[in-house]
Amino acid sequence: MSRLSNWLPTNWQWFNRLGSPRWFYHRSERWLPWMSLAALLVLATGLVWGLAFAPEDAKQGNSFRIIYIHVPAAFLAQSGYFIMAIAGAIGLIWKMKISYMVMKAAAPIGAALTFIALFTGAVWGKPTWGAYWVWDARITSMLILLFLYAGVMALQYAYHSVDAASKASAILALVGTVNIPIINKSVDWWYTLHQPATIKLTSAPSMHMDMFMPLLVMIVGFYLFYAVALILHTRNEILRRERKTSWVRELATAKAGG
Amino acid sequence: MYFESIEALLNMSGHGVYVWSSVAVTLAAMLWLVSAPLLNHRALLKEVNRDIQRQQDRELAEKATVPTDNHKESH
Repeated sequence: MSRLSNWLPTNWQWFNRLGSPRWFYHRSERWLPWMSLAALLVLATGLVWGLAFAPEDAKQGNSFRIIYIHVPAAFLAQSGYFIMAIAGAIGLIWKMKISYMVMKAAAPIGAALTFIALFTGAVWGKPTWGAYWVWDARITSMLILLFLYAGVMALQYAYHSVDAASKASAILALVGTVNIPIINKSVDWWYTLHQPATIKLTSAPSMHMDMFMPLLVMIVGFYLFYAVALILHTRNEILRRERKTSWVRELATAKAGG
Repeated sequence: MYFESIEALLNMSGHGVYVWSSVAVTLAAMLWLVSAPLLNHRALLKEVNRDIQRQQDRELAEKATVPTDNHKESH
């Protein structure tokens, strides 16, 4: 019980320690190999399973296999947006140094995942709908998501002061959060070509287990991959912003000597 | 395997072009997402070392060339 109490919110030590860029930089070095290995194994399993072993869809044929990258990428593009916005909010409220670094790191990763979702969706659309692109509610709101990520990235370089850039980016990220429920509900609110959600938390999946299991594996794999990418980008941001501090200087000298 | 042969897996009854191009672009983007920061990490540490070296050079040069009397005027 005494150990548990260390993790209760009344004791803020963990919060402060996690907020220390130096602590995070050193600790994450130990996490990275294991997380990378796990991400690689889970992604390889899911991809081989989904592409080569899952049965084909009765209506769409084999083109449906794009789902195994399209849905996880779209999933993480949206989860990643929440992570970026929440990191921005923590930065604004508690002035936690590292949260702004996480926010900045999350933007290019989210943009790349949104791009993957849009690209694979377009390629999937050709054999299924007969068109690469339609101005449909789901697709348009995902394109807006890409622009929001791009906006957060651009704002980082629009100010001379790092602090001003971080605050402006955080506010844009928070305002843009309204887009996430719009993406989610777009298939219900508007008449759309896009098929309804495959996975809902509230009901059973609308696909057969043989098809659904590899999708679940791929989503877990994408989460692991996202974590690895976010940590790598955050570590660089830490080095960039703390490059004048003695601990970064000592680290660089040690790396050069060894 | 669901397919009878590797050719069938690659062809996917005509849909192979769509599926495999999606996979290729996705893997390329994901590879970029982890390789870019790894390369950047090395470059950043080198940059810090260059800064340290430059600062040390400057300090050495100041000690060697500027006598203590002229120190203020030299700036």
